[in-house]
Amino acid sequence: MILVIGGSYQGKTEYALSTFEEARFFNQAHLFIKKRLSEGHTQAAIYDEIKATTSEGQWVIIADEIGNGVVPIDEADRAYREVAGRILIELAKDADEVYRVILGIGQRIK
Amino acid sequence: MITLVYGGSGSGKSAFAEDLVCKTNYPNRYYLATMKSFDEESEKRIKRHKSLRDGKGFITIESPIDIENAIIDKDSIVLLECMSNLVANEMFRDENPKTFTECADKILDDVKELSKKTDELVIVTNNIFEDGLSYDEGTKEYMRALGLINKTLAEISNEVYEVVVGIGIKI
Repeated sequence: MILVIGGSYQGKTEYALSTFEEARFFNQAHLFIKKRLSEGHTQAAIYDEIKATTSEGQWVIIADEIGNGVVPIDEADRAYREVAGRILIELAKDADEVYRVILGIGQRIK
Repeated sequence: MITLVYGGSGSGKSAFAEDLVCKTNYPNRYYLATMKSFDEESEKRIKRHKSLRDGKGFITIESPIDIENAIIDKDSIVLLECMSNLVANEMFRDENPKTFTECADKILDDVKELSKKTDELVIVTNNIFEDGLSYDEGTKEYMRALGLINKTLAEISNEVYEVVVGIGIKI
């Protein structure tokens, strides 16, 4: 599995689509995490679901980095930020390669 | 020697910084904890961090303000975690909040004093600067202080890492 992360509107999807032509894509993983959290799922369950979904074949998981801001006032926003961060750390450990995309430029960081 | 570890919330910067410390062989490992427990959520965060440190031989010193007063033995490495809490504690410790320059000057002086007491100082600090939102003047002043401290610490540090999804990138 390959993980592509970066801030919003950095060209992550375009970079991933043009770089990994043969792969299957799990895009906007951060929004998937947010939705599942709002439905009451735990961090572990959400992680397991992403892993199960991407277990067959070569997958590229794409997600926004969302932790680089001021601590949100809203408790659910804080939980989302925390859980998304923790899940992405686990996915990065599992990944064969990790890329960070800034200004459309991808840097391999693992 | 100072090492600066920078990252967002949930980036894995603490675990990365602890790994850095645990790769060294100093007889004394100190953990300067700047977070004050004031509610259930902060208590939970403190507990999570404590469990991360379990078995790694850290001596924990609660140090929410005046970090230069921490009692540190020689032959030691100190992990200061984290700057964002320290800045909030120092800025708002008196009735009238400090200006960002007063706050930054005080903390940078304290860091320099602290670094004289130990062989190595590892400082964990936060990236709170990239959400593109506008904040009230008080929050902006806090952000200015943390931004100035981060930038100045980077200048005086021997090594600077940015941690992204648990991966440390030397910058």
